[in-house]
Amino acid sequence: MRAAFSDALVAAAKANPKVLLLTGDHGYALFDVFRKECPQQYINCGIAEQNMVGVAAGLAKAGFIPFVYGLSAFVPIRVLEQIKIDVCYESLKVIFIGDGAGVVYSHLGSSHQSTEDIAALRAIPNINILSPADRFELSNSMALALASEQATYLRMGKADLGDIHTGPTNSSMGALVPVVINQLADILILATGSMVGVANQIAGENKNIDLYSVPSIKPIDVKSVLDICTGRKKIFVLEEHSKYGGLGSCIAEIIAGKVLCDFKTIGIDDRFSELCGDYAYLMEEHGLNMDKLDKLIV
Amino acid sequence: MKANNIRNTILEMAFSGATVHVGCAFSIVEILTVLYRNHLNFPANDVESPVRDYMVLSKGHGVMAQYACLHEKGYLASEDIQQYFKNGTRLKGLADAHIPGIEATTGSLGHGLSVAVGLALAAKLNKTEQMCYVIVGDGEINEGPIWEAALFAAQFKLDNLIVIVDKNGFQAMGTTDEVMSLGNIEAKFLAFDFDAVTIDGHSELELDIAMSTFKANKNGKPKVLVANTVKGKGVSFMENDNIWHYTRLNNETYAAAVAQLQGEE
Repeated sequence: MRAAFSDALVAAAKANPKVLLLTGDHGYALFDVFRKECPQQYINCGIAEQNMVGVAAGLAKAGFIPFVYGLSAFVPIRVLEQIKIDVCYESLKVIFIGDGAGVVYSHLGSSHQSTEDIAALRAIPNINILSPADRFELSNSMALALASEQATYLRMGKADLGDIHTGPTNSSMGALVPVVINQLADILILATGSMVGVANQIAGENKNIDLYSVPSIKPIDVKSVLDICTGRKKIFVLEEHSKYGGLGSCIAEIIAGKVLCDFKTIGIDDRFSELCGDYAYLMEEHGLNMDKLDKLIV
Repeated sequence: MKANNIRNTILEMAFSGATVHVGCAFSIVEILTVLYRNHLNFPANDVESPVRDYMVLSKGHGVMAQYACLHEKGYLASEDIQQYFKNGTRLKGLADAHIPGIEATTGSLGHGLSVAVGLALAAKLNKTEQMCYVIVGDGEINEGPIWEAALFAAQFKLDNLIVIVDKNGFQAMGTTDEVMSLGNIEAKFLAFDFDAVTIDGHSELELDIAMSTFKANKNGKPKVLVANTVKGKGVSFMENDNIWHYTRLNNETYAAAVAQLQGEE
């Protein structure tokens, strides 16, 4: 997914000299190609994220298209007020890339983990929230962000989980993307980001499960959500994010009072990661690994 | 454009709108008067022109002074001024970028300098001659992003950026020395590799000379003008009394203030 991100970014910058990349001294090898191909469009803002977002707002106001790259633990969380006031209040087009979303930076602890970014941003107007599941959704998300007239937050989760789709998705902003479709199966799984891969393993050949990926959390096509959710016995929403305020909350808000079924959000409980461990260890700690979810859902 | 007219307009707005922050607005009157009268390039009918100079009021609490200047230049209608702070009208109590001529939404302190730095950088990247002026309060520079932005401005050689520190010596709860002492502000910015000068922020001549000198000096360094000012300047009972950060005018104080300003005509 990171290679697809780099490719899309370089292509965007080469196509339009107004595209700039701002980084808070993060990214290193990820930007090797960008720095080689578009050195004049690369701005390392130093370890100063609040200023970086304000600078991006000024640049956007003057007609540039800034990509602001940081770890999702910092962008958007550390700079939430700058995003709200400097960028969103003025409907400026700034594209925020939050890398390592969820518990990807597992060993480093809670300072570098990001399980509240969607919730925090959802309450701010004038910003899209995109959460692609694989390189195809990532490329599509980059295209959607560039085509949008307002700000976008693009959440990049675990980078090496492999593909979900077999080719480009070309979904529109707000659309849900079918992954496993048995047509009105009793169980519906809606998943986003890294959890689409896990859900895909669970759905597998199971004829009783439909699975959709949700790469666009805000905006989201409300009519599609209602259409897809109606007539199910059980709906599970899977996300590598707090159960509070993420995709699960978003879906619940839409279907409340309209769709009657068992509904469960599977995400991170209202607590921080407790112990040191690798990514697989933490996914197990939070109950988001394949074995636990398989028993819960099937 | 005359400073005293600007003060009169501020006083009218503060009284009719029953609003606070009069002291914050009065301390930057000469700074803004000189900027709008002699320095800012704003095409007459297009304050959003892509080649305009930028003026960011980072200390958004002083916005009444900017409204008064925008009105004086014909960019804001008299009705807007008369209806300031009233329900359903455009002009809010803090600077709001939805108003043409106001570049950044400020009042949450420590934001404007970063946005100004972005605008100054944009001008450099576009190879235009645009200048970017930004007014920060001395209390405001408690905020960390101010110093992040100062590092950035020096690193990216933004000599088209002129930071004006409104050094009135007060912040919300007391003097800057009591609350969070700033020491020598000029020395601090010099240490951040700015060109710096300290002047009387109510002397139009000193402001004019400093701005012209800084604008002409394309030496790769951002500039800071530390302007010694008086909070509440122009009305004796408001001067250096921090209560006018918070207090609304009543009939008596309004009449007394008007009389003083008229006495200066």
